[in-house]
Amino acid sequence: MIRTIEVLLVIMILSGAFIAASYFAVLPSPREVSPINLRRLSFTTLQMLDSNYDLSKATFETDDSYTWTRLQIALSASLPANVLYNLTVYDIDDSSGSELYHYVTSISNAESLGETTDVSAYTVASSNVTFNVTPQKIGEGTGGTLYILNCSDANGWWITGYTAYSLAQDLYDLLSPYFVKTVMIQNTSQLATILSGSPISGETLQNAVIINTCGEAVPIPSSYCTTPYSQNNYAYYSWYLGQKVNSYNWTWASIVGYPFFYVSNTDAFSSGQNNWGIYGMQQTGGGGSIAFLRGLDSQTYSTSGTAVTDSKTRQATLSQAALEACNYYGLYPSQTQTSTRALSSAIQATYHLSIGVNVLDPVSSYYPGTLYTHGTTTITGSFLALGLTRTPDVRMTALGLLSYYHPRVYASEYTATNTSRMVVLQLGLAGGS
Amino acid sequence: MASASLDHMLALTIFIASLLIFIAFFTQSMQTAIEYQQHNSMSTKTSDLLDTVLLNPGLPMYWGQNDTEPVGFGLQDPEFNEYSLSSFSPLRLSVGTQPSVHYAAKNAYYNNFTAGSGGCLLTPIDDGNTKSVSYQLVAELLGINGTYGFQLTLTPTVDIEIEKTSTGSPLQFSVNAYGSGFVLANANVTYSLIVVNQDGNQYPSWSIISSKTSTDAAGSLQLSFPGINGETRSYALVVYSYLYGLKGMGYYVHVPASFTKTVVPIVDSFQNHAIRLAHSDTVGAVTTFPVSELSYNTSYAIVTEEYTLRQVNLDPTNATAKITNDLNISKTYKTLTLPANNPGILIVAYKDTLSGQVGIELVPWGLGSLAFPVSLGGNSKGYDWVTTDIRQVTIGGIAYQATLNLWRIEGHGGSS
Repeated sequence: MIRTIEVLLVIMILSGAFIAASYFAVLPSPREVSPINLRRLSFTTLQMLDSNYDLSKATFETDDSYTWTRLQIALSASLPANVLYNLTVYDIDDSSGSELYHYVTSISNAESLGETTDVSAYTVASSNVTFNVTPQKIGEGTGGTLYILNCSDANGWWITGYTAYSLAQDLYDLLSPYFVKTVMIQNTSQLATILSGSPISGETLQNAVIINTCGEAVPIPSSYCTTPYSQNNYAYYSWYLGQKVNSYNWTWASIVGYPFFYVSNTDAFSSGQNNWGIYGMQQTGGGGSIAFLRGLDSQTYSTSGTAVTDSKTRQATLSQAALEACNYYGLYPSQTQTSTRALSSAIQATYHLSIGVNVLDPVSSYYPGTLYTHGTTTITGSFLALGLTRTPDVRMTALGLLSYYHPRVYASEYTATNTSRMVVLQLGLAGGS
Repeated sequence: MASASLDHMLALTIFIASLLIFIAFFTQSMQTAIEYQQHNSMSTKTSDLLDTVLLNPGLPMYWGQNDTEPVGFGLQDPEFNEYSLSSFSPLRLSVGTQPSVHYAAKNAYYNNFTAGSGGCLLTPIDDGNTKSVSYQLVAELLGINGTYGFQLTLTPTVDIEIEKTSTGSPLQFSVNAYGSGFVLANANVTYSLIVVNQDGNQYPSWSIISSKTSTDAAGSLQLSFPGINGETRSYALVVYSYLYGLKGMGYYVHVPASFTKTVVPIVDSFQNHAIRLAHSDTVGAVTTFPVSELSYNTSYAIVTEEYTLRQVNLDPTNATAKITNDLNISKTYKTLTLPANNPGILIVAYKDTLSGQVGIELVPWGLGSLAFPVSLGGNSKGYDWVTTDIRQVTIGGIAYQATLNLWRIEGHGGSS
């Protein structure tokens, strides 16, 4: 009998052990077994909302109910319907010496987020922290328009490896802050519009800068693909452009190679090619640049004259003015460049040009990169010719224009208070515990 | 003596019986705990695996713009960091959302990327030159082949539904923008209507009407275009809706029902960014009679920061051409070269040279360009525990949700 009692005691001990083990070994709730990683979901949601720095702006506009309502809509829309959230903003300020984080505001879509929540923090900086510069606008009051030829119906040549579009976009990013208005000429019809003296979107035509991103080719509107512009393989068109540059005091920028060597219009020359297999182009030849310079100098139309370049290869280095501009504007193209289409110094006397600025130092009476101005007391047209070999570095174009116009840059005031806030997004799952 | 033996026997019996019962009790608890632990570790594995896919660009880094198979799998945009995905890598996945399409001219099958009629892109599963990245290969590259099964899904966070609400003129649309958990109320909207011109020109042209507006408190808005007949004209409406970093897009393409021919875009090479535009009668079931000839005109549009469409230079070779359904007459396809690194939309307007009817097709170059969804992976049916994790990502500026479902294959025979 005693053994039976002993066994019953053992059973009682085992039962106690089982009850104790069951009591302490609490299994997680089914929701916690394989949960969504709410921490990562929270973090990626904050990143996504701040992809355009909109969340950063809203964080510093907590008094603006409209902004915060829209933020709440965006937050609700971006998270799955069963996810509960609480977004809280804290100001980071250690000036008081006691607390680093100070509660500012919060938004939530539920009173309680349940038992299973996770949280991510995201620190945002005020725009006050960012070091900004405000550039002076070139030609403010007298023009200040930058035209970038980004014609979809014209092909480029010697812009190998790039599309005119990508060059145009880079130039836009580099130079648009320095101009009152930047206009992308999207097609040759728009080019025809400004050539006829009409602005495209209310900009000032006079004193504008025109950058041709098509390299050695110049876009030509279809309406100009006829006589008299078609004379001498469209050299007349280049002469006409020279006249326009003179009359509107434009600055024409040729970003690479032999200026005005081709004209391009993919519709008008759809069956013609530039002798190198690129259709939609017509080779004008060396007469194009002669005609342009004659037009710029108000001379009668002709293509006769000495070629503007001897097409020899030369190593060129940045001029002192360009080097200073490099540091001033933060543009750093290679100091040494290869030129194969440097312009002869003879054109200065022949076409009454002056040196506006040398981007690259002259090499034995040839100018690899120079901005020429026409006129003595009053400037009537300018011409930036970068006779560098392909492929173009558009920073050289930007450097040339900035070296010449030299707009000032004003550093914004740096303020160090109320500059950082922390956004905390806590997520939970709706339904059950 | 007898009673002592009886006592011993009884005690032993009770002891053994109780021991067995308690072993069963403890085993059950331990099994449950082990299973919970396994499920929990699978959840961690899912999260890690999803981050592995989304936070590395793969190897080579630009495999999305190659024709060869990658040796490392990842979808991150190599030019960005964090959760920004490549526009091109997802296009190389062998997706299973739509049935594959046979293309007789190459005797090959193609993945069908689409999010509705009027916008599609066929990518080669294996045409001898370009190979899609299969589920099997991805599993091998992730090191889970034979161990785990998975399904990776990229879904636009914002769903923009466009419905034509008018008959005849004016052309009217109802647009509804939904987020994954809430309507996109009071959101900014930019739209572009591309209307194919009906004129006597050999190659069709189009006009674009763009404007800005916003959704109402219900995430809806009505658009009206006076003077455009919604039935007889061919047009495409592209709508972008955005609120903070949450951006979505939707499109609607209309071609008169009587015009059944179309141009089918087929990727020739990701590396050379070449797209073949083929006559619809030569893709899928081939039809050579009656003879049909389509003259098409194309343009490449990228989305500006203001969410308008900016048309950019396109290689002029074959940008405008004719295709037929009969190889004996002329070419059944033409090949275009698209810009290398800029995701965008190829607009293709086409015209039947006999009937003069015109149509339009939108071709995405980059997954986010037309907010196509993608799903790669196996079928979890029969596996009793599938873990899921989710991340917010952007593809070409469009907000997506990346979801990974994971289940264990090794040592599991399935439960159904």
